[in-house]
Amino acid sequence: MRLLASFFLLGLSFVSALAQSSNSPVITIRKGTAVVIQVKEVGGSAGANATAVLKNDIELSGFLSLGDSASATIAISGTAPGSGFSGQATEKGGSVVLQKSYSGDTRRAVHQFINDLIETVVSQKGIATSRIAFVANRTGHKEIYVADYDGANAVQLTHDNVISVGPNLSPDGRKLAYTGYQSGYADIYLVDLASGARNRIIKYPGTNTGPSISPDESRIACTMSKDGNPDIYVTGINGDSPRRITRTRAANSSPTWSPNGSELIYSSDERGGPQLYRVSAGGGSGRPISTGFGYCTEPNWSPDGKKVCFNVRSGGSFEVAMTDLESGSTKIVTGEGERPAWGPDSRHLIFARGSGLFIIDTISGKEARIIGDLGPISEPTWSH
Amino acid sequence: MNKKTVLLYILAAALAACHQQPQQQSAGVEGDTVNGSPLPERQEGTSFFGSNVSRNQFPPVYFAYDSSEIQSSETGKLRQVADFMKRSPNNIILAGFTDERGTDEYNRALGERRAQATRNYLISLGVSGSRIQTVSFGMEMPADPGHSEAAWAKNRRTETGVIK
Repeated sequence: MRLLASFFLLGLSFVSALAQSSNSPVITIRKGTAVVIQVKEVGGSAGANATAVLKNDIELSGFLSLGDSASATIAISGTAPGSGFSGQATEKGGSVVLQKSYSGDTRRAVHQFINDLIETVVSQKGIATSRIAFVANRTGHKEIYVADYDGANAVQLTHDNVISVGPNLSPDGRKLAYTGYQSGYADIYLVDLASGARNRIIKYPGTNTGPSISPDESRIACTMSKDGNPDIYVTGINGDSPRRITRTRAANSSPTWSPNGSELIYSSDERGGPQLYRVSAGGGSGRPISTGFGYCTEPNWSPDGKKVCFNVRSGGSFEVAMTDLESGSTKIVTGEGERPAWGPDSRHLIFARGSGLFIIDTISGKEARIIGDLGPISEPTWSH
Repeated sequence: MNKKTVLLYILAAALAACHQQPQQQSAGVEGDTVNGSPLPERQEGTSFFGSNVSRNQFPPVYFAYDSSEIQSSETGKLRQVADFMKRSPNNIILAGFTDERGTDEYNRALGERRAQATRNYLISLGVSGSRIQTVSFGMEMPADPGHSEAAWAKNRRTETGVIK
């Protein structure tokens, strides 16, 4: 009986899905070209703010671009009464592509609308609701800051007047791990961003640094030196039961997780200049990743699992490079930038350059500065 | 040390001999193991920049760019440290540093590797590893804040802190 009922329900939902799709407008999108969007002035007391956020989200999205009524495929209108946002996206022919209301903070609500629009129109994951963290030296000390992906709502997280570096956001953006020197040694701290609760979770003898939270948030990969060399280890989320992954007499750093949590990529100088290696998260010997460059550091694995971005040295500065793990091809993304990190769309990167934090579209090459007034910036990290 | 490790060790030594690289006689040919010597527990309340640590008793040990190899010019400094440790009961903290020409996290690992290479050398001179703690500051706390080769050479270093 129960089986029959669920079968009946399944049948119903199938019918409704069919009905919906037959009403949906057909939008033809060529791969690689952005869908042109016209943004009409948003009504309501927070309308001007919402309009600006809409336009900026579209500019930064990669999948969408701004246009006027003549060039646009889709027009957006909406109201922002001061709290929440109601948006409507209408295709040129007049059919509604997306109509939805969101509660809460206006910026956040607009970000959600844009992500839903990208999901609806190009079936891709947007970056608009994601969070970033980075190190800034505005106070004369390196401290950790968090912000929205577009640089808005930047907040100083640590106020310890020591060295606080190497932040890593959990994929859902709720937790942040970093390297802090409050004890006089390098230890790894874990912060719950909602409550602000902070714990020193890895404090073995020597140096504990470069934390990377696993995709399922059950483990941390990092560098530890307690056994006599800076090697890669994996611990539980609270620093418990460390397992040694590499056994070298070299500098091993910056482990980054595959999206399924089964492998790590890290940098090691065990054969001369630092190179990228790939290893099972359970241990074993690291296999070199061929990039064609002699100095490869700070790797970051894309959330779709297909690419790794990293730094290569070029003269006195650092370039941002990416390697396609399937084809093995490597390209330079930008000529100057440090510690790149992938966004949720596996398309955009953020990186540090001097006093700026930048976002770049790895497909179009389009670049924008999102932070520029907090002193020297380093080591950005991005939620997924 | 198991048989496999011994074999690898012999093979590595043979290869090194073939290549005739006497400059690579640094930490490692004798006195340490492939897997390193585990660090002792941290001494509660002591840290490298703490008030109970004397940091200027011994000169810094300098390194070549991107290297953690103990250079022959530096071994005399480490013999001084080893002699002191054999005479006195004090334990030490070795702090590793890099110059600014490297990315942040790699520099933290490289600084630690330098501290560990220095520790291994002291162990090879007969000092117990249980008396030597390490820490890396990467490119932070430069000895010389300049941006010249002369400044960088001063910043690629390990400093010895004697716990009072």
